[in-house]
Amino acid sequence: MKKLLSMTALLALAISPVLAAEKVLHVYNWSDYIAEDTIEKFTAETGIEVTYDVYDSNEVLEAKMLAGSSGYDVVTPSADFMNRQIAAGVYVKLDKSKLPNLKNMDAGLMKQAAVFDPDNAHAVVYMWGTTGIGYNTKAIAERLGDSAPTDSWDLVFDPAIAAKLADCGISFLDAPTELLAAAMNYVGLDPRSTKKADLEKGAELLTAVRPHIRYFHSSQYISDLANGDICVSVGWSGDIFQARDRAGEADKGVEVSYVIPKEGATQWFDMLAIPVDSKNKDAAHAYINFMMDAQITANNTNYVWYANANRASMPMVEEEIKEDPGIFPPLDVQAKLWSAQVYNKRTDRVMTRLWTKIQTGK
Amino acid sequence: MTGAQAAPPLTKTLKFIGAHGRALVIGVPMWWLIVFFLIPFAVVAKISFSEAVIARPPYTSLIEWTGEGAMLLKLNFSNYAYLIEDSLYILAYWSSIKVAFFSTVATLIVAYPMAYYIARAPERRRNVLLMLIILPFWTSFLLRVYAWIGILKGNGIVNNILLSLGITSEPIVMLQTNFAVYVGIVYTYLPFMILPLFTNLVKLDNDLLEASSDLGARPMATFFKITLPLSIPGMIAGSMLVFIPVIGEFVIPALLGGPDTLMIGKVLWSEFFSNRDWPVASAVAIVMLVLLVIPIMLLRNAQAASAEGSS
Amino acid sequence: MGVDRIETKQTIATGAKPWVDQAEAPFIRISNLTKNFGDFIAVDNVSLDIYRQELFCLLGGSGCGKSTLLRMLAGFETPSSGRIEIDGQDMASIPAYERPTNMMFQSYALFPHMSVEKNVAYGLVRDGVAKAEIAERVAEMLTLVQLDGFAKRKPGQLSGGQRQRVALARSLIKRPKLLLLDEPLGALDKKLREETQFELVNIQESLGVTFIVVTHDQEEAMTLSSRIGVMDRGEIVQVGEPHAIYEYPQSRFVADFIGSVNIFEGRVTEDAENFVRLHSQEGGCDIHVAHGVSCTENQKMWLAVRPEKFSLSKEQPAGKYNFVTGTVDEIAYLGNLSVYRILLASGKNVRATRSNRDRHDAEAAPGWGDTVYLAWDDTAGVVLTQ
Repeated sequence: MKKLLSMTALLALAISPVLAAEKVLHVYNWSDYIAEDTIEKFTAETGIEVTYDVYDSNEVLEAKMLAGSSGYDVVTPSADFMNRQIAAGVYVKLDKSKLPNLKNMDAGLMKQAAVFDPDNAHAVVYMWGTTGIGYNTKAIAERLGDSAPTDSWDLVFDPAIAAKLADCGISFLDAPTELLAAAMNYVGLDPRSTKKADLEKGAELLTAVRPHIRYFHSSQYISDLANGDICVSVGWSGDIFQARDRAGEADKGVEVSYVIPKEGATQWFDMLAIPVDSKNKDAAHAYINFMMDAQITANNTNYVWYANANRASMPMVEEEIKEDPGIFPPLDVQAKLWSAQVYNKRTDRVMTRLWTKIQTGK
Repeated sequence: MTGAQAAPPLTKTLKFIGAHGRALVIGVPMWWLIVFFLIPFAVVAKISFSEAVIARPPYTSLIEWTGEGAMLLKLNFSNYAYLIEDSLYILAYWSSIKVAFFSTVATLIVAYPMAYYIARAPERRRNVLLMLIILPFWTSFLLRVYAWIGILKGNGIVNNILLSLGITSEPIVMLQTNFAVYVGIVYTYLPFMILPLFTNLVKLDNDLLEASSDLGARPMATFFKITLPLSIPGMIAGSMLVFIPVIGEFVIPALLGGPDTLMIGKVLWSEFFSNRDWPVASAVAIVMLVLLVIPIMLLRNAQAASAEGSS
Repeated sequence: MGVDRIETKQTIATGAKPWVDQAEAPFIRISNLTKNFGDFIAVDNVSLDIYRQELFCLLGGSGCGKSTLLRMLAGFETPSSGRIEIDGQDMASIPAYERPTNMMFQSYALFPHMSVEKNVAYGLVRDGVAKAEIAERVAEMLTLVQLDGFAKRKPGQLSGGQRQRVALARSLIKRPKLLLLDEPLGALDKKLREETQFELVNIQESLGVTFIVVTHDQEEAMTLSSRIGVMDRGEIVQVGEPHAIYEYPQSRFVADFIGSVNIFEGRVTEDAENFVRLHSQEGGCDIHVAHGVSCTENQKMWLAVRPEKFSLSKEQPAGKYNFVTGTVDEIAYLGNLSVYRILLASGKNVRATRSNRDRHDAEAAPGWGDTVYLAWDDTAGVVLTQ
């Protein structure tokens, strides 16, 4: 009898993965980009199991998408990268009849995102944010006094000021498009310019401050900023808010602030999209729809401190976040934001080459 | 009609195995090589002759069919030409070789005394010591490299000790420097150097050392004239195990190195990910492989020469 | 120049026996030397004097401590207690690389990465001898060991006998006061070993270097040495010239170890000034020994008789002493002699040899199952009290 039982157990074990495979949804998202209980709630509501993986660069995601057969059902590319990926035929057109929660979305922001994806045919906005400056308030005050230009790109782009901060550590995102755009804007050029000469001017500025930069990385700065290992980061808004949170929890006297510099900053959108080779497109639609639920979106924003594009969620978003000009910037600041440019292959190469030169001097 | 046809099936089978057994035995490693080396190599080589496009996959096909049904093979050498045009690639290869060379030397210097000590230790202690060398492999490689971040960073262990002892007044910047890269590489690859060295040194005949001493050589002279030359095969084996993977190393410089740590692994990464230029990335990889084959051949020859001498 | 030196050396082969001469000072003086490895006593309170130009053999079975003793002389092992003096100098604080000794290893220990020439030159190079002199001495040494023309070879390209000679050349080139040889012929096959034995003796005699040879092979020891020290369980049980060790063993161990021997246990029945008589239950005989032995009546003693000392016959010899009787159990015909195994009434086996002096004595020779008598002279046996 016992033997029989264990046999049955074995059989169940052998069969269950096969059954589950049909129900499992593979989600590939940015690291630290969702409320802790969101996935749990999704499974509870829909009965769909989720395998959840994370990445920290658009490039990695893109390589997987272009190679094909990634096995993922829902991914979260940034809009400018997604634009090119759509051209490569990576994503399916969304079946909007399966996305009733689209009604919750902010028409204005969706329209902005439509620059990269006409008619929002392939994707919906998950979160949006800006690329600004996070800094350790005390360390900056110690080194620069009260006159510290914490509201300006001067903090990292003025070599004299950057030099004073080098010892406590400046980090830049390892994201050439965003840094070069900010640099071009700083020297009075169009941040969305694709002219080689303009890009080179931006690179010149970055090269000038390069000796004072500790590293170029797109995720490590979160914990380093929180621990006080570095004191200024050019980073993504929500990441820096997370650093602020972690610093507060650690309670070791580190205080982190985020600012959208007065000169302006890149505004970017992260989109939810479904790869063409997804084996589970219905579940993927269900997931995207769930992510547009007003309460769920509010929970995510409250957790990750990124702005969403979900009008219906706003009443549930915490006041502190809603009022934070770093997250939901006031109109005058919004006017100065620019959205990321989509580059052609030639410009891509110019930019990567400049980026390597900035980093290594070679 | 003939004897062969009349032979029973069993004999036939045995004959077949006899005639083909050799082929079977050689076949296994050969298929392994074909499946896991030659085919991937051919795929990468193929991509390196194509052109990058925005598509999935993001490169052109080498073979085109013309309207008349004729096959057209288009080989594009511009990716290789590109590697020569921009000095970045040559610099990156050169600096990777430099980093690999110096880290191999550093690893050898650190590993040799350890391997020597373990080889000379009493047998029971020897096993414990070997265990200690291998033990770190049981934890994730990434975890161990992250541990070095904790040790080397501004408010990390080393700096805290130095500060509390008053040796420095400001934290020394060690992380994100080439120094940290070397520390990481030496640490990670140490066992690959120690194990072949140990295997060599443990076989060293104690009589030879006594004979040298007996003939008037002080311990240092014995070491340099007997132990060291006889351990050359171990040093070569260990150096190969370190040098070759370090050339293509990506993770350690990415985690511990600064932005100016230029290595071919990083260049490959940015070709592949930032430029989405798979053909150029493939060309970089192919050239790296060719560059690696040269030192391997040289070392193999040196090893063969020294093996001949001691046989 | 070296050749002159070799020629003019006075050698021990001239017949001098320095160990007999009370005035002669020993060249190597080992006093109360002991070596423990943990609880195991490898060398137990050994005292031994060895004289200049001797070829001294340390003979014993494996684990008897002979190699440990040799290694203490070379400086590879530190004595637990006791003292070693070479040429009047205490060796206690002198490391191996400064001792006036050289060693030839059982494994030869040739440096595999060096040519024959470099191997032989090694000791001189370490001492900083001038290059020209090194070349000259190496060439001379290679000639001595008949290895001219092999200078550039690596050890891996030599035969066993050639390697043995390289090892010998290498250990001799520094003209050591004392050469230590650990089983120098052990790795050679029998025929080569016999040839090499004589070569070794010739070289030793021509160079006049003092040799200490460790061996487990008693034949080798007999052939090579001026004197033999027999070792057992860490102790030297007897020291003497080969002939003395063979003819006058002082214990059953030595008698048994060197050559083949028959030992009869007996009790003293008569103890006179110039003879003793024993009765042996084992032999079923009475024994007359024609010299005095310090003993008491009824004491247990042994008589050792070598197989070749017996005269073997089918007829009972005259007299009532010094013969045993039994039946032929086994005969081994060796050509020059035949070895008989005789079964005594007591169940004891006795070995006897009979030389084949006469080609036609097949009839006279005893055969299987024959009752035979084994007789010996009253001076042929050795009385052993231990």
